[in-house]
Amino acid sequence: MTAVLFDRVRRIAADVLEVPEARITVDSSSENVETWDSVHHLNLTLALEQEFNLQFEPEEIDEMSNLRNILSVLGRKLKPAS
Amino acid sequence: MPISIQPYTEDKIAAVRAFNARLAAGGIAPEFHFPEHPVPHWLPKKDDRHIYQEYFLAIDDEFVRGGFILKYQEFLLGGKTQVLAYYHLPVSEGIVNRKFAGIGVHMLRSAMKMQPTLFALGMGGFDRPLPTMLKALRWEMAMVPFFFQVNHPSRFLRQIAPFRSSSARRAAAGLAAFTGAGWLGIKALQRIHSRDIPGTSIEVIPSFGSWADDLWQRCSGSYALIAKRDSATLNILYPGGKSFVCLRVAGADRIAGWAVVLDTQMRNNKYFGNLRVGSIADCLAAPEDAPAVVGAAARALQTRGADLVIANHSHPAWRQAFRSAGFLEGPSNFIFAAAPALAEKLQPFDSKQLDAYLNRGDGDGPVNL
Repeated sequence: MTAVLFDRVRRIAADVLEVPEARITVDSSSENVETWDSVHHLNLTLALEQEFNLQFEPEEIDEMSNLRNILSVLGRKLKPAS
Repeated sequence: MPISIQPYTEDKIAAVRAFNARLAAGGIAPEFHFPEHPVPHWLPKKDDRHIYQEYFLAIDDEFVRGGFILKYQEFLLGGKTQVLAYYHLPVSEGIVNRKFAGIGVHMLRSAMKMQPTLFALGMGGFDRPLPTMLKALRWEMAMVPFFFQVNHPSRFLRQIAPFRSSSARRAAAGLAAFTGAGWLGIKALQRIHSRDIPGTSIEVIPSFGSWADDLWQRCSGSYALIAKRDSATLNILYPGGKSFVCLRVAGADRIAGWAVVLDTQMRNNKYFGNLRVGSIADCLAAPEDAPAVVGAAARALQTRGADLVIANHSHPAWRQAFRSAGFLEGPSNFIFAAAPALAEKLQPFDSKQLDAYLNRGDGDGPVNL
């Protein structure tokens, strides 16, 4: 995980979830961010797809219920093909 | 273990019951619980039927975390027969436990992958969670107008929910009902402008025969999108012995169309109080015969004693037919939503111009009526 990737995801998460950036950490999840419900989860998914120009598989979408997993999924998808 | 979408099979019944118990513990009403038997009571998949339902579950190891239903049905779309799927009763554990907030999106995206030409209907208003999610996923949405005709204004004014929502309105509605002012006002608004086909007759029928196939062949091409309404499909949807009343409307020289109506005595209903409510749930005719069918169905329900007759219809010719028959248009929460792959075949996608044929016979069928 790079700091640059985390910063980009944090900025988007804070914007979509309507919380201050400072409150978003790698441990932020749908269980501890009050506004992170089903509709905001979808909006976060779509915002990340737009930002990184990719599409998540349905199975990846519910894996992304916390920042740590979002970064992990993005890390896999953004990895250059070897 | 990642969550996967799987067809509902017998071995998952206990897990579905446990899922429903968790929903109930979170305060979710039973009507939003998932069916506890994998074979649908309504429209099971059998024989070579082209209209059936399938249940799907979101499975997390041995736990069920969500479920949705697809109803498959043949439609005539731009003159070609095509199977479309109706997405309904999506329910996710995310509504009681935010740990599962992603399940709803997972199920919806999976359904769209399985069946790109997907649609949803009803949903209770644009501000509800499902329409909000569909809009974010670029589904197109249009409201299906709601029509009503009041046969007994005094009872209507006393019973109908919007008039009973505040004490001042309740008092005003009571006074208007008592003095007859409400009767005069409603009757003045409901002026009938349409004329019947000469020699129109109406007949209660036990089932749909080959005449219904002839009618379907004759008039289905008039509509850009319409669910197949041949006799085989209609006899599955509206079998004898149920609460439906099937009516055939004939002119002097031809069958004009048919209507399926319900006549229900409501009991403390949240919208209709204790009114006797007639519903024109489904119908079919060529656009030029719509006024005759609407007028005949409304008269049949009035004769049976309905205080109020209601209907939803999307098609412009039918909307005009309801207005001409003296129906008033009320606020609707019945939404048609089309996934992008379906919406692109229905342009322009706008409530006022949409040439789709949708009523309460589509989607879940005439439930809650």
